[in-house]
Amino acid sequence: MPMKGRFPIRRTLEYLQKGEVVFKNSVKIMTVNYNTHGELSDGARSFVFFNVPQIQYKNPWVQIQMYKNMTPSPFLRFYLDNGEQILVDVEGKNHKEITQHVKKILGKKPEVLEEEARIAMVSSNPANFGPKKYCLRECLCEVEGQVPCPGLVPLPKEMTGKFRAQMKASQE
Amino acid sequence: MFQVARSPAALFRLLTPRGGVLVEAVRGRKSRNDPKAKSKVDRVKLPPPIDPEEMVVLKERYREYDLIVRALRAEFREEVMRRRYEEQVGSRAEERAKREAEEHRALMEWNDRENLRLRQLREVRVQKQVEEEAKRRAEEILLHEERRQCVLKEKEQEILQLQEDVKTFITPENLEQRIEEALDNPKNYNFAIDKEGRVVKRTVLP
Repeated sequence: MPMKGRFPIRRTLEYLQKGEVVFKNSVKIMTVNYNTHGELSDGARSFVFFNVPQIQYKNPWVQIQMYKNMTPSPFLRFYLDNGEQILVDVEGKNHKEITQHVKKILGKKPEVLEEEARIAMVSSNPANFGPKKYCLRECLCEVEGQVPCPGLVPLPKEMTGKFRAQMKASQE
Repeated sequence: MFQVARSPAALFRLLTPRGGVLVEAVRGRKSRNDPKAKSKVDRVKLPPPIDPEEMVVLKERYREYDLIVRALRAEFREEVMRRRYEEQVGSRAEERAKREAEEHRALMEWNDRENLRLRQLREVRVQKQVEEEAKRRAEEILLHEERRQCVLKEKEQEILQLQEDVKTFITPENLEQRIEEALDNPKNYNFAIDKEGRVVKRTVLP
């Protein structure tokens, strides 16, 4: 069974999609400085191990870099597109606290996310029918519980136009 | 002309000739140079007959309908464009930008306060560590001193013991006296001891 690594759940789509932090559009680079040993860097190490994959999945256009054993205490640094740098000290915090902190200062608000989802829905409405490239379904015959495609399973006689025309002709 | 179907129904399979590939009829069966079919050679295709009065009425109605629908379409399009413009450039956008800048500033201040708090904690911790280190070092020095003193004392004890032992040494002057003493007091080293360690029996000296 191909389970790679210590916590292979980190590689599942479900886990990645559960990531909470979606950065604002102005955040371009995230840098994590932490130490490989020491109790103070525990939280930072867990953060890097468990939460950074989720963040990168949700923000594919943000560059994330790790630096190990460069400073005695761990911290995060964010670089915005207007040149501003935001320093976040994470000494002694655990990974949940760090995620909450980051979400509070640089995460998109839930209302904004809903708004964006709604706008995306307008352009890619799941209720539309069309080519597979743009829509989920091409024809109603693909939906469960509907009349199947007459190309695969012939329609019952009563539904064919031929039969109905014959009936009409015989009645007149 | 002919297209081979890849997913025919089960029914069609039954109806195809044996050993034959299933073919479907596709529009435009004949190519450019094929002659007309014998049954269709004399056919004259006429357009459907029109009633002029009906045509006039229909045209008028269609004209009005088209006008209305085009007007509606233009209205909706204009509304959407106006909304988009407002969104991006209009007054609402400016308010929004200002509000976001405000919120950003507030959050940055909160972050700075957090950093300050952690910094104070860290300073306290580092101070404590330094003090502990100094204390440990002082204790270690004390221990070292004590050990040195112990060793010195032991050495002194040994020297004193040696000085006392010197009195029992046999020197060339004492030699004859000690020999006389040894001969006068014969010692018996044959004895037995019990489990307690007390001497139990002694042999008789010859």
